Amino acid sequence: MEQILANGIYLGSQYAMIALGLTLIFALMNVLNFAHGQMYVLGGFVTYTFYGQLGFPFVVALFLACATLFVLGALIEKFLFGPVIRRSSREESTMLLAAGLAFFFDAVILLVFGEKQRGVPKIVDGVFNWDFRLIMPYDRILICVLAIFSIVGFILFMQYSKTGRALRALAQDRTAAQLMGVNVDRYSMIGFALGAMLAGLVGGLLVTITGVNLGMGGPTSIKAFMMVMIGGAGVISGAIAGGIILGFLEAIGLAVLSQYGDITYLLIFVSLMIFLAFRPQGLMGKPWG
Amino acid sequence: MLKLSKTQWIGLAVFLGAVFVAVPMTIAAFGRTDLFFTLTSVGLLAIASAGVWLTFYIGRINIGQGAFALLGAYVSAILVTKAGMSFWLSLPIAGLFAAFVAVLIGLPILRLRGVYFAMITLVLTQVFTLTALALPITNGAKGITSIPLPGELSLFGITLIPDFATLGNPRVAFYYTTAALMVLTFAAMYRLVNSRLGHLCRSMQQNEELASSIGVNISYIRIIVFAISSFFGGIGGAMFGSIAQSVYPSSFQVADSVNFMLNCFLGGLGYVFGPMLGTLVLYFGWDLLFEFGKYQLLIYSSLLIILMLVLPNGLLSMKIPGLSPKARSGPEVAGKKEEPGQ
Amino acid sequence: MKRRVIIKSAAAAVALSVFTSAGAMAENQTLKIGFVGVTSGPAAAWGISNQRSMEARAAWINETGGYTIGDTTYDIEIVSFDDQKDPKRAIAGMEKMAQEGIHYVVGPNVDDGAAAVRPVAEANGIMYFPYAFPKELYTAPASNAVLGMVANYQSGPAIYKHLMENEGVKTVAFIAANESDPLSQRDGGVAAAKELGLEVVSDNVTYQVDTTDFTPVLTPVMRTQPDLLVLSGVSPANAPQLIRSARELGFQGLISTETAQDAQVLREGAGDLANGFISVGGASTPELASDAMREFVERYTDMFGEYNDESNTKVYALEYILETLKADPAAIEDVSVFQATMDSFEAPNPYMVGDAKLRYVGMSSFGQKRQVAVPLVVNVYQDGEFKTLFVAEVD
Repeated sequence: MEQILANGIYLGSQYAMIALGLTLIFALMNVLNFAHGQMYVLGGFVTYTFYGQLGFPFVVALFLACATLFVLGALIEKFLFGPVIRRSSREESTMLLAAGLAFFFDAVILLVFGEKQRGVPKIVDGVFNWDFRLIMPYDRILICVLAIFSIVGFILFMQYSKTGRALRALAQDRTAAQLMGVNVDRYSMIGFALGAMLAGLVGGLLVTITGVNLGMGGPTSIKAFMMVMIGGAGVISGAIAGGIILGFLEAIGLAVLSQYGDITYLLIFVSLMIFLAFRPQGLMGKPWG
Repeated sequence: MLKLSKTQWIGLAVFLGAVFVAVPMTIAAFGRTDLFFTLTSVGLLAIASAGVWLTFYIGRINIGQGAFALLGAYVSAILVTKAGMSFWLSLPIAGLFAAFVAVLIGLPILRLRGVYFAMITLVLTQVFTLTALALPITNGAKGITSIPLPGELSLFGITLIPDFATLGNPRVAFYYTTAALMVLTFAAMYRLVNSRLGHLCRSMQQNEELASSIGVNISYIRIIVFAISSFFGGIGGAMFGSIAQSVYPSSFQVADSVNFMLNCFLGGLGYVFGPMLGTLVLYFGWDLLFEFGKYQLLIYSSLLIILMLVLPNGLLSMKIPGLSPKARSGPEVAGKKEEPGQ
Repeated sequence: MKRRVIIKSAAAAVALSVFTSAGAMAENQTLKIGFVGVTSGPAAAWGISNQRSMEARAAWINETGGYTIGDTTYDIEIVSFDDQKDPKRAIAGMEKMAQEGIHYVVGPNVDDGAAAVRPVAEANGIMYFPYAFPKELYTAPASNAVLGMVANYQSGPAIYKHLMENEGVKTVAFIAANESDPLSQRDGGVAAAKELGLEVVSDNVTYQVDTTDFTPVLTPVMRTQPDLLVLSGVSPANAPQLIRSARELGFQGLISTETAQDAQVLREGAGDLANGFISVGGASTPELASDAMREFVERYTDMFGEYNDESNTKVYALEYILETLKADPAAIEDVSVFQATMDSFEAPNPYMVGDAKLRYVGMSSFGQKRQVAVPLVVNVYQDGEFKTLFVAEVD
């Protein structure tokens, strides 16, 4: 039981962080970012390069991963999503752009970093073992704590900083925010960059535990979509709730249903569908996203 | 019968001539027989994409067509291998079964909109893949293999379609079958879009509440359209199973569902023939870039991004003199008839 | 559609003629060998190690003057098609090979692709060498597929038997990804283990390929306390994480798999925790590798920057194709000659020390010789490299 709880918290915290960036981008621009998983992988590879290959301290590598993704995100918004959103008649069209970007990143990652699974040296050694009732390696605990701090930090930032307030205003009502004097273009760019940065941050954190390979992008995006759906699209608290719920669902499902093997995820997916059928806007979402 | 203008009749004739005569002749002239399969794929994927386009037409982003294609492939494969049924009978059954399942699933989920519907259909694809892995009738992970080629179809002793196994080149037979199916599909789509149902769909796409308030039975229309959409998916999937002579849980997966949707975006959501052109460009594009080796994906994705920047409303939104310049979906759908022939 | 096709065919024809004329500038004739497999996306590692092995070997042959079959010396050209792990694309790839007049193709990498290309290969006279295990691909009436490696239902029993006799293993647990290939391999492994008299304590735990945390997946398996944990059909990306999670959960027993792995990936992903991990390899362990193998590894590394240990098992297919063609040059245009030659073909194995032979096997598994006799080298990982545990033969 303790183990299931711990697994749930660990999984939940990392999932929540992945979902945060996605939902932020969605809230601001109504873009379903298919390339989110690839940005996460990119963050992992940047951290791998600086920490694993070049021997920089982990924190520096992590910072570089965030910075890279932040800049990348800003450029993508400025030169790709911004123009396309302005010119397309149906905003869903950005999905094709996002998917194209996902393919593009996949190709670049393959060419630059190769096809192999990559890993970095552990940041902390040892395993916390409480009488075999609760087993958790120390690096996982550390990453989990870091993830929770990042989430709290992000919430505080959104709540109290000027940028955060502007972003929230933008997410709530674009036109009204513009009328109130918020520079919409500028803050769209910042918001997208922040979302990308969050993806990079999780990638950088998790590379120490799971390693990274170019195949992780697509599935990560899809998982992130699911969390966002559970919590409600475009709502920060919803993304966090969605991530934690999915984390616990997996931890509990795998523990309880293990003897039935192939059906854990099937059940998770089916129950998600049933849940959404009854509550179409997720837990906390505005109706119709 | 629909009233088509003179140019539209000419367009139709050119299109049919191209598909049934010119393309096979060109292939024969150049000796590129591998293109038969590539174009067959394009045709089948276009049929499935047409279904996705229909759901777009009622304002729903459908990323679940892979699920129905997989379902269709399995239904046909099981009927042919386990019940010994003729493929030609199993094909419509596969489509109808997919439509039936779509009705059951559609009842609850069609109430969702926007990204929620998109996501729930995406999850649906995974559900079908996992179900196929878990069920005994689908033979689980081992898939269904060694499916016989389509047999003879005869009516009152007259052979309508010969036994594919006796043909020297079944690929050509598959090409013609697919071309015929594709023409039928898009003819049906064109008819539907220009019918009363099509007008109602457009009104729903604009504003469901408003449509509902003027007496449109929106839930009924949603179900009908989703069922037709899935019917197309089932047909496309069943044909593919027959060509590959095997079906696996991974025959259609999330990537396929996403691609079906991308085909529609690329072609243009406002144009009936968008999915056909989109599929041709997306699928064929990959094949054409084959020569670039390891840079294939890089070039492919770069082109996709550039296309999106230049034509964010799809390929068919390219302004062509003499045709309506409006990029909005809807009324000028009819004016785009001759596009795919280009 | 008409004009589009003409333009595109024309473009393709031009591109094609550029290609062939470039080949014709060299003195030798060109012999094209195909590869259809996955070289992009999540499973890229499988196909890329395959493709690169072939390209490295071809470049080596061409640099040293070409390959003589009968009276003609050929330069080897590898034509690769990326099927994106999609069976529909795999068919297109095989069609493309037929179009290019290629009769010998390596790949596809997975079960569904290998099954899907069968009609095309048999209709067009193409011999193909898949890395997929389903028996119906190689059993009559199927005729054109040759299994390119040791199947898990062959290596599994050998490994389990060895561990029963030498390590006293009595109980075994299986874990597999929820995908066609790994699940089929798990079922094969379970059957083999039961036949050997092992007690299978857990065989229904699966994980999604995109799992990032294996602790919850492994916890119920660990509770059954098996002597041996088999990672059925595990991908090189998942292996280190699974090993690490199992060890961190306090698992003391043995861990093995029947797929090929990469030492560098294990070292980065699991470090010392991977010590003792048993996997199937080719012949590049120091004890077994011949000079030719060492040179191959060197050339591969020069060409692509980094070697992949998975290639140890994948260097063979091309060698088999060329050697068999040499045995009867008429097979270059006619695969039925190739098939006839396979029954009696034998040549020295250049990659292994000793007198190992290249020959076709598979009588006991498929009832016909439709498998390459790759030495079944079972490796154990120790401190960053593989050591040979034992070597066996497949018949």
